[in-house]
Amino acid sequence: MQIALNKRLRLSPLVVVLLAFMGIAIIVAIVRYAVGIGAISNLNNAYPWGFWVSFDLYTGIAISSGAFIITSIVYIFELEQFRPLVRPTLLTGSLGYIMEVIALLVDLGHPERIWHYFVYQNFSSFLLVIGLYVMAYSAIMAVEFVPVVFERLKWDKLAGFLRRFMKPVVIVGAVISTLHQGALGALLLIQPAKLHPLWWTPILPVLFFISALAIGVAMTLFESSLSSRFYERGLEIHLLEKLAGILPFILGIYLLVKFGQLSFAGDLKYLFTSGLMSVLFWTEILAGVVLPLVLFSFKKVRQSPKGLFFGATAVLLGMIVNRFNVSWFAVNHPDPLTYLPTFMSNVHYAPSLPEVAVSLGIFSAGILAFGMAVKYLPVFEEKEPHEEKS
Amino acid sequence: MPEITHKAFLFDATRCIDCRACMVACSVENKIEMDKTRIWVAGIGLKGQFPNLTRASMVYHCMHCNEPDCLSACPVGAYSQRNDGPVIYNKDKCIGCRYCMNACPFGVPHFDYDKGLIEGAFVDKCTLCPQRIDKGLEPACVATCPTDALVYGERADLVKEAHTRIQAHPNRYINQVYGEFENGGTSYLILSHVPFAELGLPDVGTRPVKDVSEQVMGLTIPVALGWGTVLTGAAVAVHYLNQKKALAAEKTEDKQPAEVVK
Repeated sequence: MQIALNKRLRLSPLVVVLLAFMGIAIIVAIVRYAVGIGAISNLNNAYPWGFWVSFDLYTGIAISSGAFIITSIVYIFELEQFRPLVRPTLLTGSLGYIMEVIALLVDLGHPERIWHYFVYQNFSSFLLVIGLYVMAYSAIMAVEFVPVVFERLKWDKLAGFLRRFMKPVVIVGAVISTLHQGALGALLLIQPAKLHPLWWTPILPVLFFISALAIGVAMTLFESSLSSRFYERGLEIHLLEKLAGILPFILGIYLLVKFGQLSFAGDLKYLFTSGLMSVLFWTEILAGVVLPLVLFSFKKVRQSPKGLFFGATAVLLGMIVNRFNVSWFAVNHPDPLTYLPTFMSNVHYAPSLPEVAVSLGIFSAGILAFGMAVKYLPVFEEKEPHEEKS
Repeated sequence: MPEITHKAFLFDATRCIDCRACMVACSVENKIEMDKTRIWVAGIGLKGQFPNLTRASMVYHCMHCNEPDCLSACPVGAYSQRNDGPVIYNKDKCIGCRYCMNACPFGVPHFDYDKGLIEGAFVDKCTLCPQRIDKGLEPACVATCPTDALVYGERADLVKEAHTRIQAHPNRYINQVYGEFENGGTSYLILSHVPFAELGLPDVGTRPVKDVSEQVMGLTIPVALGWGTVLTGAAVAVHYLNQKKALAAEKTEDKQPAEVVK
């Protein structure tokens, strides 16, 4: 197995392409630090946040939620059979968080002042607590993942020592992760006048948490499918089938809460009359919720590798559209029914090519890092955790 | 001049002649670069059919909300509000996240997109000229306005003044002082003869947009404690049940070893 991996990762065309993307991103970032954000992006005063926030922050953190879901299943609910999924999802989660932080350092006007987060704290700001959650949960994921490194270094005693504290660490991690996913939704609560009423609601944090559960499970299915193909490993289909079985429930609850909220707020009228906004809304609901809900309700689909992959992709794409909608597409778009004109209503935004290149480069670095970690660390082969049971 | 305890300014769109002297005065006073400004003046152009034509222009300032959303949103507390009203920004704390720009319903704070790390990219906005008002002077824009479209004073007096003007000319003005209650009340008050929407002012309601955000923030610690208790309880319960099951399995093994081994 080790040999096969070595062959695959030795500068295959894929690696060359990923490295090229990284190089482009570094050049763009240098230009940005020298001449300013406006030189490489189309961000403007009406859209101070754009593609970077939608893709790296909102999408990146959402797809990292698999880590806390799987660790909770294994450590809190002691469903040991899911243990093989712990390390890969933790790796995906950690990389997702690291990628987000790197992207943020490009997006921030003053990345060198990030220490202000510890010195000047304004606790009415969701952006402050989100920053603190990112730091805290990154540290927790590091503690959860580092036994893998110790195992590789044959520091078995230290790995065993850490494993003894895993349960409380996982509980604290799950709480912080829950708050973090919810806070990402709450970050938009301050825009009731700007975000389209199909999306703005006081329960955005709840919707974000529920959809993060769906995205985390879907990402685990997606990532397992891909890595089983790429690394020629057997697919843990009996595990994935069980995991996929949860999805219809999560998606069903999401659907109920979302439409309940819309009817309660009296916003059902926007469903078909808001032009592009209605189309975007139905795209995320049909692709990300209804289609996978129906698909994963069939045992046949859950038992076939193709069905799992397709269903998981539908959830991911639909929910990524959701994250883009709330943080970009549906912002500053006046609705014909409640026209909210400001002197910025006619300002539009589409990301520039270098802007996308930055995110693409960071994403490529993430894929490369995943490959390296799998190559050098026992990510897919976990020893039985004897130390823990006593 | 009597001391002013809640500083505010009043803009009357019917008096504005679109000369933009306020923009120039502001830039000179606050040393703003040539291609930037803290004040925008927008001409709305001619509207209606001859002979009933209207024309309006709007001077956008920071609204200096009584309950500033930018202040609530800023993660590092770069915004502060003086006791006498003005909302000011401290660039030494700013990390350039631009969340204040998202938060402001009036789209006031703006950012130096053309500055790199060395020059330093900051947010900028109107400060109501504290360096002048502390000396008992009017803000630069007000002092320079040739038609008194902008006047400065005590907020309560200006609200009264605005309503007096509406009562004196009920046919001329829209019967509303924009900013009296909008977004929790602002220190920039606006009178207009055309609908406020045409001036590009958002319909924000009287509740500050930060309200829901701050209420939800208050739930953070209860949710954290509650969820932590639930998860800890679940972990303990599951562990206990599993141990019990294991014990029971051992016992049956002891009693009937033959059956289990097969």
